[in-house]
Amino acid sequence: MEAVIRKWQQKFRKAKEEMNKWEALQVGWVSRFSKASSIIQRLEAIQNPGSYGALRCVKGIEDALLQKQMDQLETTLLSMRNDLEEFRGCVLTFEKLRREGSQLLKMEQTKRRIEERIGVKPCIADCLKGLSLLYEMHQSEYHLKMSILSALSCLALKPSPGDLVALQYLVVDQPNILNNEVQHIFDVIFAEDIK
Amino acid sequence: MSASQFPPPASPSPASSSRSLASPSPSPSPASLSSSSSSMRLWRPAAQRNLRNQWSKLSTFRQQWVAACSGGKSHATSLVNAYLSQTFVPAMKFGALSDMVGIKEKTLKKLSKQQSSYRIKLLSSYKEMVAVVVEMVNVSSSLRCYMKPSSGSIIQFSGSKEDSDDAGDCGGIPVFNFLNVSAFENMAEELVEMFKREVMLKRLLVMELVSLSCEVPQPVKLSWSAELYHGEFDDLSKCSLYSNEPILPRLREDNLGISSVSHTNQPTSEILQIYLTTWLAEINIDSHRVDEILAMAGEEIRLTF
Repeated sequence: MEAVIRKWQQKFRKAKEEMNKWEALQVGWVSRFSKASSIIQRLEAIQNPGSYGALRCVKGIEDALLQKQMDQLETTLLSMRNDLEEFRGCVLTFEKLRREGSQLLKMEQTKRRIEERIGVKPCIADCLKGLSLLYEMHQSEYHLKMSILSALSCLALKPSPGDLVALQYLVVDQPNILNNEVQHIFDVIFAEDIK
Repeated sequence: MSASQFPPPASPSPASSSRSLASPSPSPSPASLSSSSSSMRLWRPAAQRNLRNQWSKLSTFRQQWVAACSGGKSHATSLVNAYLSQTFVPAMKFGALSDMVGIKEKTLKKLSKQQSSYRIKLLSSYKEMVAVVVEMVNVSSSLRCYMKPSSGSIIQFSGSKEDSDDAGDCGGIPVFNFLNVSAFENMAEELVEMFKREVMLKRLLVMELVSLSCEVPQPVKLSWSAELYHGEFDDLSKCSLYSNEPILPRLREDNLGISSVSHTNQPTSEILQIYLTTWLAEINIDSHRVDEILAMAGEEIRLTF
């Protein structure tokens, strides 16, 4: 039985790695979002000839600056799209871990064994539930990120400062990933390691 | 598109060189250089060494530019922030702090002290950027490799022209595989032009930013024809960015100079935002093109920049 639990714990170690990877991606994602959003906020001023001050004497500056900023924005949105791909990679790994979990479960003969608990070690049911939750959280968050990116692309055409601020909160908060819950899952699975 | 902008290379070596040896040389350069295979054999390594050195320098200068530019950006931002805070202070409510004697005056004084220190830092970043452009201009005009006639039996080469018939390009033969000296020169010039234009745009921004002041009445602002640091005009002259006064800023497509530069009195925060954005955007520098040029030269020279 202990060997079986060890197999499950192995999956959680892999999940932990994946979460670290997600975390690192999130840092880049947040900074790219801020970059894109500050460019979008500037677009109006850039298109207003009245905001150029002494630069007015440089012919063609408005168009050139707008062009440069649009290029920047496009590049940033493109890298965000690449980030999304990476996030998707994480989601796929979580999905795979859960699937492997289900396979492991099929090898168990009785319902009693699934709920059997030895000392502080987790039972098989805890493990499966944990893997499913991790997968679901990250998958929902991935879908949210996709929507955020498409909302951001729309805002680039029609800026609205309030919407940008609201999006910023969603980007930073990652509302689908509940840190407490994640911590709890890992606490249960690795209860024996808690000192 | 890029390669086609340059004059066609002399033609691929080594086939061409042997051909031009056999036939009477059509090249306008000194017969003594282009027709003698031995001098060509000697010229090539010297020219290659020179190009390798100069292009490595160019790519280093570009990195120095990026560093100076980003330093300048952060000083400019701090300067603008301190200035804007200073304009907000008179209208600020100090709450519990308002009992303190002279709190507003002290705040204002502190903020203007900060501004003068950022002003100095911004000017020194600008000075660095000009210095980089001066170096770039130097390098781009030192790509030719001349024969030194005065050195007796051993043929030596130098960067300075000693024989008026010597064009320093060995009759336009390819230095490595395909490109001749003038092709390298054209690439360097295209690259350096971008930085020359950008440094003048930065000059306008620096002039505006260091002139920010909350004082009433407004102190006399710097004029375009005033030196921003000691020796600036010497530096600008070396880059041909000065004639009677500094060349006025212009953008790539716009070759017609504007007539004059005028200050904006008390720029709004929106204007200041545009100034900072313009600083950051490096409108005149097409960084893809710069990368492309460096890659092209690097490939020919067999160095990665």
